[in-house]
Amino acid sequence: MSIDRLFSILAGRMDQYAVLPILYHFHWMEWDDLSFDWCLVCIYGLFAVIITYAVCVPLELWRPVEHWPNQKAVLVDVFYTLLNRVGIIPIVSFLLFYQVQTAFTGGLVDMGFIPPTLDSLIPGLFGHPFVTFWIYALILDFADYWRHRLSHTFRAWYALHALHHAQRQMSFWSDDRNHFFDDCISFLWFFVIGLAIGIPPLQFPLLILLLRFVESFSHANIKLSYGKLEWLVVSPRFHRLHHALRAAGHHSCNYGGVFPLWDIIFRTADFSPIWLATGDAKSPEALATGSYLQQQFCGAKMFFKALFAPKKKAA
Amino acid sequence: MITRRLTLATPLALLATRAFGAAAPPFCMVMNSGEASVSVIDMGSKQVINTLPTYREPSHWALTPDRQTLYVCDASGNAFFGFDPVTAAAKGRVKIADPYQLAYSPDAKYLVVNALRLNHVDVYDAATLTLVKRFKAGQWPSHLDYSPDSRWCFSSQQKTNALFSFDMATLTPRWTVPIGDTPAGVLWLNGKLIVCLMGENGIVEVDPVNGHITRRVATGPGAHNVFLDETRQILYISNRGPGDTTLSALDPVTLDIKRTYTMPGGPDDIGIAPDGKIWIALRFAEQVAVMDPDTGTYDTIDVGRSPHGLYLSTCLSQKGRLTAQTV
Repeated sequence: MSIDRLFSILAGRMDQYAVLPILYHFHWMEWDDLSFDWCLVCIYGLFAVIITYAVCVPLELWRPVEHWPNQKAVLVDVFYTLLNRVGIIPIVSFLLFYQVQTAFTGGLVDMGFIPPTLDSLIPGLFGHPFVTFWIYALILDFADYWRHRLSHTFRAWYALHALHHAQRQMSFWSDDRNHFFDDCISFLWFFVIGLAIGIPPLQFPLLILLLRFVESFSHANIKLSYGKLEWLVVSPRFHRLHHALRAAGHHSCNYGGVFPLWDIIFRTADFSPIWLATGDAKSPEALATGSYLQQQFCGAKMFFKALFAPKKKAA
Repeated sequence: MITRRLTLATPLALLATRAFGAAAPPFCMVMNSGEASVSVIDMGSKQVINTLPTYREPSHWALTPDRQTLYVCDASGNAFFGFDPVTAAAKGRVKIADPYQLAYSPDAKYLVVNALRLNHVDVYDAATLTLVKRFKAGQWPSHLDYSPDSRWCFSSQQKTNALFSFDMATLTPRWTVPIGDTPAGVLWLNGKLIVCLMGENGIVEVDPVNGHITRRVATGPGAHNVFLDETRQILYISNRGPGDTTLSALDPVTLDIKRTYTMPGGPDDIGIAPDGKIWIALRFAEQVAVMDPDTGTYDTIDVGRSPHGLYLSTCLSQKGRLTAQTV
């Protein structure tokens, strides 16, 4: 039995015996068609966390960049990860995306325009889902490069993104450590991209997991680079330079999530063979070591302050 | 002379195969909603012989009235995928807004498409596929059927718990009535309508004149779709749970339950083969089950993720109008 099929069977059981009883009880059975997909997302998310944990923990023990006296600050990141990968956030995002996308697409269709997909726009792609998948991966990673770069450019946006950078004990758990508003902006960003090129196909969930793994792994506390391959895939060392104290804020580097290609093209790549300390010296302590709610509250406060503060005049 | 006969005979044989489906091996096509493909299964060997791509999310199918094209809906791909109903060969694509479920009217004049995500019931000219009328009668239009005289069309509105009917001659709404929790499959049967209720414990029988419920039958929780085996006169209901999932066999006249088959894996659409075996798409198991209705035993065939609609090419041997729910 393939791992793909095993996950589907697990998701099916989860749906039949855990989710559908809830939907049935609360008269929400109209979501029956989609609840199986939610279960798949949870099962794949859980698998991703387990695999990332199994790979990263031994490596972090074997070749850590830093030794920490206690790992209390990491615990909050574990919570972020579970919330984002396995928990309620993927489902809420999906529901939100579904409703907004439906309203928007419905409006377009009423005006006589039927939105395309990438493989209907480029006829040669149809029937080559593997190629289509990698084109989607490149487009989305390119979009993510600019989302990330702009989040370091605008003061109010960075006030939110600072939460991600505040972590001084950066580990593979830190990837999902984001402010809720920052996640919302990402959601909107990819929503627009999704409307322009169609929603990416989901026939390769294991490849999607692989890409997410690269992103988690790049945050790991591991003294590791990929040598020449570092020009192809983002490594822990490459991404650590982005999280370095010196790179926090407006003048950072290495914004790429999976492919360093965009950093190379737009001249923001730094391949220095060094492992630096991480964090953002200017951010409040609550962002680094506070609880989940303290971090969210502090991030929101900084965001509104930056948003409504008068612009600084150039000297 | 012999050579000439052979030369002529070959295209004639091909034509005969195409026209009558005589020599083409019968196949089952199952629409894998979760992975943008359809699986083609050889019905003899029960092996998947081909997997053909779609854009995103294939769900249901309809055969054109001339039986020349099998259309498979791709809802989020906004397209119909055409296939040869005899050979399963791809026959091109048509751009259509959000087609989830569809059926040609019995008089072959219209094609009605339920656009579930966009809350439209769209009426297309059957010959040209141009949009003739768009109804916004409720939310999440799910399944549909007609009166046999093509006078009325009925569409279940899954999210607003209603059944919507419109007049096919004037293309004007007749009524929208509350029908029960999460209606899905709809079938005209002996002058009444059978509507499956996914949020309740079975089906309802409805008067097509006024939409009033005339009877309830408890087939199982999550009653999803309804199919009629016209040859053997059995009405099948797929019950998708929660909990254990089943397939109910009913007397189509009395609606008495004759047998309930335990069918793990979330039965969805079914097809009846000429040998009486029932081919069932199992949504959660990524499989198609082939069940002997006499013994209740079944084999399974692995297909793609979330198998949904299911077409058997053997249905072409039947006379009259062919729909997904009466084959």
